[in-house]
Amino acid sequence: MTAIDQELDRPAAERPQDVPARSAPAAPRRGWRQRLRSGLTRFLMTTLAGLLLAGIVHIVTVLAIPTLSQRDAAHAYRELGAEGRAELMPVSGSARGLPSVRENDTNTVTAICSYDLSAGPMRIVARIGNLPLGLTVHRQGGGVIYAITDRAAIRGVLDFLVMTEEQRDERIAADEEGETNRELRVVSDTENGLVVARVLVRLPSDRGDAEALATGVECGMAN
Amino acid sequence: MRILDLAYILALGAGLGLGSAHWAVAGRPVLGKVEVGPWAAWPRSGSREIDPYMRAYLSRGVHLPLGSGEGLELIAERDSEGQALDGRCRYQLSGVTPTTRGWTIGITDGDGLPFRLTLERTSFTDSQIVRPEDGQISIIASSTPEPGNWLPLPASGRFQIRLRLYDTPISSQTGETRATNLPRITRTDCR
Repeated sequence: MTAIDQELDRPAAERPQDVPARSAPAAPRRGWRQRLRSGLTRFLMTTLAGLLLAGIVHIVTVLAIPTLSQRDAAHAYRELGAEGRAELMPVSGSARGLPSVRENDTNTVTAICSYDLSAGPMRIVARIGNLPLGLTVHRQGGGVIYAITDRAAIRGVLDFLVMTEEQRDERIAADEEGETNRELRVVSDTENGLVVARVLVRLPSDRGDAEALATGVECGMAN
Repeated sequence: MRILDLAYILALGAGLGLGSAHWAVAGRPVLGKVEVGPWAAWPRSGSREIDPYMRAYLSRGVHLPLGSGEGLELIAERDSEGQALDGRCRYQLSGVTPTTRGWTIGITDGDGLPFRLTLERTSFTDSQIVRPEDGQISIIASSTPEPGNWLPLPASGRFQIRLRLYDTPISSQTGETRATNLPRITRTDCR
């Protein structure tokens, strides 16, 4: 019990004569207001702390999803291209049980080659044809790190290497001094990922040629 | 009392933080979106400059976006007047496409999947359409058959129109493209 409460419990006759009688109800009102104000302040402070924590959780979650996700394309198609040649992307309901790609253009033929750079760089060689061909390197965890089309082909061939930064540094160190190396080196910031060959099928009759072009992409260990 | 405060802070932080993160990457994020007329594109989704929200969105499913040097995907959920696309209406797609080596235009649902309709015509490529004398495109999208370049729509409900431009210079400068350089989507009438 507070001093104010003790004062209120005393009979009116015992109260000091110099204290006006009408000031008595003001004291509990002031205490009620103080309690409300301190409760409100406490609620606001804890809510502010909660919102601050929510902001941190939000940022950490968004940044962690690509690292933790096991459902991205690089995980789903890890087995494709193990034979050193790009394989056609599975269509829905295929026997291999692999998921089909979302938001796919049905007018394209897509072949995929997965890469694992832990054993060394990978060389990609694609021969161009009459249909538009695009090659893209997708890192594990979302994101395209390199894209090239058949218009950049030299003598009808697209040829490049995918490697980690350490492997690139090793190759630069091994290069003959004073000589210009013409090989195209693409640095991947993840050891795993996909090389995707996409061919536009302009007419339904082009589908066979498009599939041959897409699956003709070679992806093997670089020397 | 302090334990209650701590529990409130943790519950609010975890609930709101995880909930907002899920909401932000459940669909294509607003960040990085470029709008040109009725068309929306995410040009950085196919480059090294991808933002964390788009990266999280892509890694939550099996996505293989077009590389920025490979092409550009534009998605329309509204017509040129700003009204949501509806299967009960008839639309005309007209105008020009930007300089590109090849393009495709198709009708999909909200997840980018083609509708399962009785007629297996879900898209056109630039080689498949009949053009008038001026060389511009003219495609009619409706649930009932139309003469000319006709794209069937579902009988009702929302849908998307996806325009994919392959090997196009605008993939690196999408924001500077004018709406007049892309096809117009005009609502003709509704049932």
